[in-house]
Amino acid sequence: MIIFEDVHFAYDQIYPALRGVSLQIDDGESIAVMGTNGAGKTTLIKHMNGLLRPDQGRVIVNGVDAREKSVAELSRTVGLVWQNPDHQLFLDTVEKEIMFGLRNLGYTADEAEERCHRTLTQLGLEHLAERSPFALSGGERKRVALASVLATEPDVLALDEPTIGQDAGQKERLAKMLREMNYEGKTVIVVTHDIEFAVDHFSRTIAMAAGIIIADGPTHDVLSNDLVLEACSLTPPQMTVTARALHQVFPEIPQRLTHLDELEDVILKIVGGEG
Amino acid sequence: MRLSFLEVFRYTRVDSVIHRLDPRAKLVMSTVGAIVSLMFLDIIPLVIILCVLIPLLAAAKSLRRWARSMKGLGALIVFIMVFNTLYSTSPTPFSYSLSLALRLVALMTSFSLFFLTVHPDELSQALIQMHVRFEFAFAMSMAMRYVPTLGQEAYAIMDAQKARGVELDKGNLLRRIRNIVPIIVPLIIVSIRRALSVAESMESRGFGACENRTYMEELHFTRRDWLVVAISLSIAILSICVRVWWGLPAWMLWKFPF
Repeated sequence: MIIFEDVHFAYDQIYPALRGVSLQIDDGESIAVMGTNGAGKTTLIKHMNGLLRPDQGRVIVNGVDAREKSVAELSRTVGLVWQNPDHQLFLDTVEKEIMFGLRNLGYTADEAEERCHRTLTQLGLEHLAERSPFALSGGERKRVALASVLATEPDVLALDEPTIGQDAGQKERLAKMLREMNYEGKTVIVVTHDIEFAVDHFSRTIAMAAGIIIADGPTHDVLSNDLVLEACSLTPPQMTVTARALHQVFPEIPQRLTHLDELEDVILKIVGGEG
Repeated sequence: MRLSFLEVFRYTRVDSVIHRLDPRAKLVMSTVGAIVSLMFLDIIPLVIILCVLIPLLAAAKSLRRWARSMKGLGALIVFIMVFNTLYSTSPTPFSYSLSLALRLVALMTSFSLFFLTVHPDELSQALIQMHVRFEFAFAMSMAMRYVPTLGQEAYAIMDAQKARGVELDKGNLLRRIRNIVPIIVPLIIVSIRRALSVAESMESRGFGACENRTYMEELHFTRRDWLVVAISLSIAILSICVRVWWGLPAWMLWKFPF
């Protein structure tokens, strides 16, 4: 469980990035963090593993104040996957790259190797194990970086813009994997601008603007609120657009809809099918 | 690991007497400052050099930034002082280390006077008007332009590796040196990748298409610039005379007895 208590943070003590953020993330939640560029999303997740420390307020990870732990210690609990994989890849094979983090966190060589291969298989990257990360494509590098964090099996997985540069198939695959991890009880937090990705796969959405949380709740509620969409400079999800268009003709169809089954139910009722 | 001491080499957009000087005049001034700092290794002359340079920085309205940078440099200065005091063969190791540290500060200050106040574009224009080929001048100003970017990148990489359990500020010296590898390798790779993409985007915008370029703004030496050059060169000549023929007066050779 991660708790933010009125967290303030400013870069270089001058440029405010968080201005009083309070939130609670329970074990096993799946959360999308949305907001415009510069809203404080990345700053928020960097507080979860201690890379940034609050100027004011507290971050509590699994009951312990984050201040009392080093980044390395917190990283066992909270795994961060970065936007740019090139910021972390530096070894000559994918396998070594993934084992590097594991060894740092204190796993033995055998354990590390076993976990490494399990993760590679899970992500469908086995064929790349012996390849150099630098010779891979952008999308592949991104998945290798993801694998290097997944291998450490953190309780909380926070991903910064994981869908950028991934084709629809890869995105689906990523979503499926994140859902599976979520079923296994892990907390999954994703920073994204991809509204369909958020709507389809995450049950809770935190919307941020100018360093504060402007909305936090079930994804369907948050993302069908026009004020939120505007503040995060998002276009409404397709389902909402569809629902609104249909509402013009069939007033029974509510305007605040974002889910396919709900829409189906209502339409079936209208056309006289089974509700 | 902080890199804040690099701040002092970054252009600041302020309007000041020093900023308005011709970059070529400032180049002479900074070079003279650096050469003079390298010529003397006694405490008093180096303090005098700093006493000249610091008011110049104040005139460039950059004193606060300089002070912050020097604070960032503090760890290195302490390192230099401690190691040299312990291992120097000089009869007065502490004074020797102190003057080494002062020399470092003086060198950084004289270069910062140039880099703080010369916009990369001005620098390349100055080089071109000194008959350096445009491509080289451009490469130079690009390099300057990318220093802060590289710094930001370095921070991002450090964050990424810390999150993988690299403990940058723990362990013995050997371990710390080994910990630099996960920072340096991605930094180099990222820079090469960026260099390639910058080159492509430059070529797609017609870089090097015309043999003879014309320039929108040209630099002109004013009387003030000549004055700066004259003063700088006189100081240089005076220092050379002192160093080579006349020798320093006795009071300037003062040092701590240890």
